[in-house]
Amino acid sequence: MMLKLEKRGQFSRKFSAAVTVIFVAASFLVAGLIFEILGVRAVDVIARLFEVYLSERTLLEAALRGLPLGFAALGLTVAFKMNFWNIGAEGQIYLGMVAATGVVLLHAYYGLVPDFLVLPLMVVLSFLAGGLYCALPAFLKAKLGVNEILPTLMLNYVAYHFVNYLIHGPWRDPKGFGFPLSIVFPPYARLDTVLGHTAYIGVPAAFIIAGLLYGFIMYTPAGFEMRVLGQNYEAARYAGVRIGRTLLLGSLIAGGLAGLGGLTIVAGILGRMRPPSAYVGYGYTAIIIAFLAALNPWLAVPAAVFFGGLLVAGDVIQATLNLPFPAIQILQATIFLMIILGEFFKRYRLRVVI
Amino acid sequence: MEKKSRISRRKFLAVSTGAAVGGVAAGAVVGGLAGYFLGSSQAAPAVTRTVTSEVTRTVTGPGATVTTTVQAPAKRLKVGYIYVGPVGDYGWTFAHNDGRKFADTAYKNVDSFYIESVPEAQSAGAIESLINQGADLVITTSFGYMDSTAEVAAKYPDKYFVHISGYRSGAAGNAPQNMSSAFAEFYQLYYLNGLAAGAVTQTGVVGYVAAFPIPEVVRHINAFVLGANYAYKKRTGRNIKAYVSWLFSWFDPGKAREAAVALIEQSNADVLAFTEDTPTTLQVAEEYTTQKGRRVWSFSHYNDMSSYGPNAHLTGQIVHWGPIYLDFYRMVATGTWRTVDIWTRIGDYMPYRWRRSPEQSTAGQVDGTLQLGKLNPAIPSEWQLEIKMRYEEMKELLFEPFSVDGNLGEPIRDQKGEVRIKGSERADRDMLWNMDWFVEYIESELPR
Repeated sequence: MMLKLEKRGQFSRKFSAAVTVIFVAASFLVAGLIFEILGVRAVDVIARLFEVYLSERTLLEAALRGLPLGFAALGLTVAFKMNFWNIGAEGQIYLGMVAATGVVLLHAYYGLVPDFLVLPLMVVLSFLAGGLYCALPAFLKAKLGVNEILPTLMLNYVAYHFVNYLIHGPWRDPKGFGFPLSIVFPPYARLDTVLGHTAYIGVPAAFIIAGLLYGFIMYTPAGFEMRVLGQNYEAARYAGVRIGRTLLLGSLIAGGLAGLGGLTIVAGILGRMRPPSAYVGYGYTAIIIAFLAALNPWLAVPAAVFFGGLLVAGDVIQATLNLPFPAIQILQATIFLMIILGEFFKRYRLRVVI
Repeated sequence: MEKKSRISRRKFLAVSTGAAVGGVAAGAVVGGLAGYFLGSSQAAPAVTRTVTSEVTRTVTGPGATVTTTVQAPAKRLKVGYIYVGPVGDYGWTFAHNDGRKFADTAYKNVDSFYIESVPEAQSAGAIESLINQGADLVITTSFGYMDSTAEVAAKYPDKYFVHISGYRSGAAGNAPQNMSSAFAEFYQLYYLNGLAAGAVTQTGVVGYVAAFPIPEVVRHINAFVLGANYAYKKRTGRNIKAYVSWLFSWFDPGKAREAAVALIEQSNADVLAFTEDTPTTLQVAEEYTTQKGRRVWSFSHYNDMSSYGPNAHLTGQIVHWGPIYLDFYRMVATGTWRTVDIWTRIGDYMPYRWRRSPEQSTAGQVDGTLQLGKLNPAIPSEWQLEIKMRYEEMKELLFEPFSVDGNLGEPIRDQKGEVRIKGSERADRDMLWNMDWFVEYIESELPR
């Protein structure tokens, strides 16, 4: 007797949802088992987890923590749809932060534009900065056939050290006792002053972008070209898809959205730029979020908020149940592992062959 | 209608088989991991539980007619901590967690809890989680939490906040009145380490594995090098040479190892001081001493790390945050809160801060918030006495490293030869807080 994996054909949405529900339930079982072993009541842990999504304060916090991930993941859905394996969301997020902070600093020192224009300018420039940073490896791929994985990855380190240089050097707050921090952003350059909380403006904006992206990918010629390119490079070329143009456009969108993620970090969460050690690899986590959302733009934002909630739950569980941080990581990892296993079993079935 | 296929029984079975198999597999893997953490993590919850039950027992005694829901007579203080690393990092966070345990044990009527490994960008939410958990006092223990602490403090004016290692507090005028800041300052201990380094170095070269080029680290490097030069010049008549290698991280054992090896191999340093949250530099020194036939010394940082390098451990700088925390517990519990900006040095929080003779010195013992590491017997005895003498003098602030006295009577010059401290001057707090220059004996440049 042996087990054999078989590929499934098309599957319906109901089927997909059922599988996800089963596997999420299974993840709670497995995680619960672990917590029982650790000497904590599993029910308590899982109750804390659900409470996060039920209270307004923690839900807002979850949305806030998920926002940078959500924007970056939205961009990645586009990139991955056209088979452009952008590992560089991290660097693109940094560039978005740099552009946003640059606008604030220039305005603070030289007073470029009226105050109310600063935030829109930050949005535009952080999008462009992240987008162009992503378009660079896309250009290399289109012109020279360079595989994008290494360039996008390596550009993360370039961006990391660029931010490090700026924050330890010219952009350091002159009144900050030499600590590597930019000046504090004035209220007109902060997202939370628009509607009282960054999530109030960030989440709707992310959903609008998701809708636009969905429409763009499904109903425009350019979006169609991206899908074709993602499914079969050779066929796309044969069919006359303008590959270079499509790659550049897609990467501009992908990187630009990551850049907006960077904007939400500096203008929404921190209120100033900090050295890159503060940012915990949002760009890499966003890759998981994009796949968690099954590369569907509509799902990217909920997936990011869900993940943000897991982070918040981690804090609550640590504070209330005296569990160590690794236990939280196990909980988070179990849930992710099971969701990804679920995705796998949506595509494959296991058969017992005798 | 027909196109939308329902889930057939077979599919359902296949999926649930998959789920079961996957679940078991994942369970096995994760269960193994859980087992791994079991040893360390089970102790903490167990202790908390016994404490709680004791309280319930003592309370139910006097209340004869009252039901079991009696509260403790005096309100039990609740304190929440935010840690930047895991409590097992054996460096910065480990020391803070030790401080928490000390303060809890001393104060008794307190429940404390913590959240560890909190990234800077997520600290505001973590602090609010502690408040929601009922914390009266929140202590945030990394520089990166400064803004978020001030932000949450403004939101909860009836709660109290202490931030470690920053510059914002009500006392300093740049944060709400319910926020204080505190720090245990090391530059005096680094100077004493420098004396020990200068007393034992054979090559006349010392190295420093440094985290970030910020004033705190810069003044520690300068203090260390001044001390090393003092001892080395007194011994040999020559100036010490010092090299600095930057990590741009507080916690990076890999980079610290590379930096330490480079300082030994390329710069010929035989004493290595460091600012990094692991014992890596000391371990490298130990390897060179015991395996590569080259005598290299290093130090303890934040905790007694001597077990990581028994042959290479010269002395070190150790911190006890406990007395500071206890102070804040008392302030909050007794309603005597006052926003403060504490910067402890040798002598502070000591019950007895009079200078003793070097022979009776408390150097090396737990006393106050700062402790000099064990002095290795390899340090010549006249230098052991000198180190102890300086330690005792600093208790009464009779000696200051950043003074002409600390530099063998010479004015202190920076790398450009500009005189920074002369005559009877001492570095004041402003100079220490903004230090952005290296003393002349350092060969490496300070990144800007």
